[in-house]
Amino acid sequence: MAAAIETTKLTKGYKSRIHGTVNVVDKLDLHVEEGEIFGFLGPNGAGKTTTIKMLLGIIYPTSGEGYVLGKEIGDMDVHRLISYVPERPYYYEYMTGMELLKFYGSLFGITDVKKFEALLEKVNLHRDASKTISQYSKGMQQRVGLAQSLLNDPKLLFLDEPTGGLDPIAHREIRDLILSFRDEGRTVFISSHELSEVELICDRVAIINRGVIERQGKLSDLLSGGRVEISAEGVPTQFISDMKINDANVRAIPGGVLLDMPEEADITAVIDAVRAQKGKLLSIVPRKKRLEDLFVETVRDKSVAPAAAKKTLTVESGDKP
Amino acid sequence: MRPIISIASTTLGEAIRRKVLLIILLIGILFLVIAPGLGVLSARSETTVLRGMLLGVIQLTSAVIAVVLTVYMIPNEIERRTIYTILSKPVQRWQFLVGKYLGAVLSLGLMMVLMTTVMAFTFYLQQRDFTAVPELVKAPVMYFVQMSLLAALAVFFSTFVAPLVNFFLSGGMYILGSLFNPFFQTLDQSPTTPIGAKVAAKLVNVILPNFANYNVQNPIINPGQSIANEGAYYFQVSIYGLFYIGILLVGGILVFDRREV
Ligand SMILES: Nc1ncnc2c1ncn2[C@@H]1O[C@H](COP(=O)(O)OP(=O)(O)OP(=O)(O)O)[C@@H](O)[C@H]1O
Ligand SMILES: [Mg+2]
Repeated sequence: MAAAIETTKLTKGYKSRIHGTVNVVDKLDLHVEEGEIFGFLGPNGAGKTTTIKMLLGIIYPTSGEGYVLGKEIGDMDVHRLISYVPERPYYYEYMTGMELLKFYGSLFGITDVKKFEALLEKVNLHRDASKTISQYSKGMQQRVGLAQSLLNDPKLLFLDEPTGGLDPIAHREIRDLILSFRDEGRTVFISSHELSEVELICDRVAIINRGVIERQGKLSDLLSGGRVEISAEGVPTQFISDMKINDANVRAIPGGVLLDMPEEADITAVIDAVRAQKGKLLSIVPRKKRLEDLFVETVRDKSVAPAAAKKTLTVESGDKP
Repeated sequence: MRPIISIASTTLGEAIRRKVLLIILLIGILFLVIAPGLGVLSARSETTVLRGMLLGVIQLTSAVIAVVLTVYMIPNEIERRTIYTILSKPVQRWQFLVGKYLGAVLSLGLMMVLMTTVMAFTFYLQQRDFTAVPELVKAPVMYFVQMSLLAALAVFFSTFVAPLVNFFLSGGMYILGSLFNPFFQTLDQSPTTPIGAKVAAKLVNVILPNFANYNVQNPIINPGQSIANEGAYYFQVSIYGLFYIGILLVGGILVFDRREV
């Protein structure tokens, strides 16, 4: 498959009085394939928005290069094929939903009112088309933002924290919309730290921390290495230990034994063995690796100062102030 | 061309809803309406005083509106991130800037037309002399060119300085260009001026936009005075204005193109 986004050593440095030039995005090698939902994850200040702005040509890289839909970044032709919903967006408040679409449509030369109506319907705002943006709730504003982002039938969408500050119902609405974008064959690039969300919809992710990509790959690959816990009674601890399962821990618990082993290990062999001993299985609990674990692991490893580690923990809990 | 028109009309839509601008406009209109009442206090010829006051109110109000309208225009777009959604569409930065400027000029024009209409009414009701109205309206037309130049100056500065600094910078240059340009001109042309001062005066004259060109109220206020070859003069200073506006916009675009937003 062709690459929708490809960057090599993309770098953005800002001059600071105290630290000299700081690379807030540092030698970024991103690879996003066409037709996938790509999650761009990182704690606050990691460089997500900066990266998106570079890819859109709103700010200029210090060094390195990037290609969006095969064209070098900044190429105006690409702007016909992409769209962008900024984080915490603001739209001209005096406009109605319909007027907003008319305005953004006119920037592409689109004047088809039927199309605007269809888009408002798609984001479930057709009944609020004549309300002004100032009367819209946050969730409605985010949805009208998605509607304007679909005006040019984009092949690639950049969504910067599309669910930031929204309630669970609005979350779900936005999530369903994003999934529908993929079904329509669009590539979606989402920056986020709402990990449970990303886990549900993204095909591949990159984790960026302090401007550096720490992990990148298919979600299923990154989250491999889950574990399974089996508890049983009427079997001696020693017996299980003797099975010599790789990377497994066995310990006695009140009324039985608890075995904790990698999910790849042979579970049926354990079950058969317990039965053969006339033991009783109590539970089999898969403990999948969560994106949250991976994220915290990745981000914390690199944090030098303990204060910074604390900060990532608040990010991980997901509730933003 | 279409993006420029859309951006301009959106700018107009926002401007006519900005409370600060409306308040300034209302105060201006209020003074236009009560001007005849204030005029009777003076002993000079009533019509002269009235004309002077009406034109003065229009000029001052327009200048304040022009600066207040433009200094926040670009910074606001950046702060509210609306500029990102616009520039991520097929809109070039120069189109954005030109659209914004034209929107400002359009808003300014609209507000000036309103004030001029009020002025014409006030004057007619007071003087019952309809024939003098067209003569009176000539000045606001020239003021409009002046304010367009002022707006271009402020838009130019807004691509690289903060709004408050811009307010004083543009406002200061407007006052300087209005009051002192004639002075520098005389200095430049006088045979007794030392050569160094002459060069400096010439330089100031070229660099500083000549806002004084458009202060055409004197012959309109005072019956005794007149501008020789008036039509040609108006045409000439309008071309000068357009030329200067062009230079300021190109300069603004060059800065804005390189700027991180
Ligand atoms: N114009 C600028 N000048 C100097 N530093 C900047 C500038 N813009 C961003 N930065 C710095 O770059 C870093 C990355 O910022 P960025 O907005 O890309 O983070 P982010 O990953 O989007 O964070 P968040 O999750 O909070 O949105 C931050 O430390 C920020 O302070
Ligand atoms: Mg951000």
